[in-house]
Amino acid sequence: MREILSKFLSEKAKLNSNLYVFSGDHGYALFDELRKTKPNQFINAGVSEQAMVGYAAGMVKEGMKVFVYGLSAFVPIRVLEFIKMDVCYENLPVIFLGDGAGLVYATLGASHQCAEDIGCLRTLPNMRIYSPADPFEMKACLEDAYSSNSPCYIRIGKADKARVHNQHFTLIPDQIISIIRRNSDTCIISTGSMLSVSLELSAKYNFSVFSAPILTNLDSEILISEISSYKNIISIEEHSINGGLGSILSEILSESGNANNQRLLRIGIQNRFTQKCGSYEYAIKEHGLDFSSIEEKLKQKCLIR
Amino acid sequence: MNYSNKYLDSNKLRQNVIDMAKNGNSVHIGCAFSMIELFAILYEKFAKIDLKNLENPERDLVCLSKGHGVMAVYSCLYELGVLDKIHLDKYFSDGSLLKGLSDSHVPGIEVTGGSLGHGITVSVGYALAIKLKTQDRKVFCFVGDGEMNEGSVWESLLFAAHWKLNNFILVVDANDFQAMGRAKDVLNCESFKSKLESFNFETWECDGHSRKEIEDTYRKALDSKNETPKAIIARTVKGKGISFMEDDNIWHYTRLDETTYRLATKELSESK
Repeated sequence: MREILSKFLSEKAKLNSNLYVFSGDHGYALFDELRKTKPNQFINAGVSEQAMVGYAAGMVKEGMKVFVYGLSAFVPIRVLEFIKMDVCYENLPVIFLGDGAGLVYATLGASHQCAEDIGCLRTLPNMRIYSPADPFEMKACLEDAYSSNSPCYIRIGKADKARVHNQHFTLIPDQIISIIRRNSDTCIISTGSMLSVSLELSAKYNFSVFSAPILTNLDSEILISEISSYKNIISIEEHSINGGLGSILSEILSESGNANNQRLLRIGIQNRFTQKCGSYEYAIKEHGLDFSSIEEKLKQKCLIR
Repeated sequence: MNYSNKYLDSNKLRQNVIDMAKNGNSVHIGCAFSMIELFAILYEKFAKIDLKNLENPERDLVCLSKGHGVMAVYSCLYELGVLDKIHLDKYFSDGSLLKGLSDSHVPGIEVTGGSLGHGITVSVGYALAIKLKTQDRKVFCFVGDGEMNEGSVWESLLFAAHWKLNNFILVVDANDFQAMGRAKDVLNCESFKSKLESFNFETWECDGHSRKEIEDTYRKALDSKNETPKAIIARTVKGKGISFMEDDNIWHYTRLDETTYRLATKELSESK
């Protein structure tokens, strides 16, 4: 997925000499190609994430196309108010790239883990939030964000394990994507890295699976009709259960009146900090997001036997 | 594009502020009064703006990062014909245009400066873009001495100097007060001159109410051939121009009543 990003940036930079990529001294190897081919279009702002957001806003107002890259714990979380005032308030099409979202930096502890980016950003007017699950979704999200006239955030998690799609496609910017349709009364709606475990659960329990690569401005009527045949809906995300995909779905379902009497189970990062140090897989398990923990939870909730 | 060349009278500018503040029952009068001459001279002789097309892509950018001084800018923009009398008369009324802090949705205002330490970051972004486009345009950025407490200000200074943004002119409105007291008592950031010089800014100090000194200093900053950003530390008086407001921080917060409005108006009409 990061290869797609790296290639995308260098290709677009070649075509557009007014394109600049800001980084707050992060992403060493990621920008190798860009720095080799278009060194002047890569700007390392130093370890000054908040000010970098303002620089980007000024550049965009002067007609530049600007990407701002950082670790999601910093961009957007550390710099949230700069995004709010300097970018969203002006509705400037800055594209934010938040790498390492979720529990990717498990060994580095709470400072580098990020379970709150979607929840924070979706309260900011004008912001579009993307959460791609594989390289094809990454490409589709990048293209959609690149052509947008609004601020965009692309959440980059550990989403290169699953093969969700097998070809390039164009994002429909207000819809979730049906990945597997099964004759089942249960479906999973998942985003980003969690597509991988969702597909495994589908293989074993015959669930349908949807991917949600874009999380803002979802068309609720289309979504409701898309999932109307399922009695149980399970949301799975590597984000806090508060404020992310599960919250979005519960808002849509409850506002629709939930005419089909559907039940939603939200699975995500618990609203607590990771307790111990360990590998990514260890942290995922600690938050109950691995296959067997989810399986156990579904048994408790009588969704599987 | 050229300068407005319109003489902006200090007393008139201050009277506009008094009128607005009275109409809107607004605070922040002292914050605006320390900046009156700095903006008057800038708009008169140094900032290239197109009054017929405020978005003219060849214009200089006047950026008020210290949003709390915004009434000084509104007053100038009114005198220049950008804002109408109704905007001053209806200040803070329901559904009105002008807010109590600088806001880039207002014609002639380039950055949103209410949250301190933001406007300077955007201004530096402007200056970088302009330099990359190899245009001959200036960015004038006004910060307060209290605002200099913000870390993002110093981040921006580092960046501006690193990128040799010689089109960036920082003006520090050093009125020696911030919201809750003397700047040096709250969080001492002096000496601005030695700090800014050590950040590789070419730096001058001037009396921020002397038209001659301000003019000379702007000219020096614009004439400089050094490949560094510029900084002007303007020594000002909070509440300047009205005897009972001068150097009294209560006028950060106090609203005018009939008596103080009348007294202020009388002083301005009698002063030269």
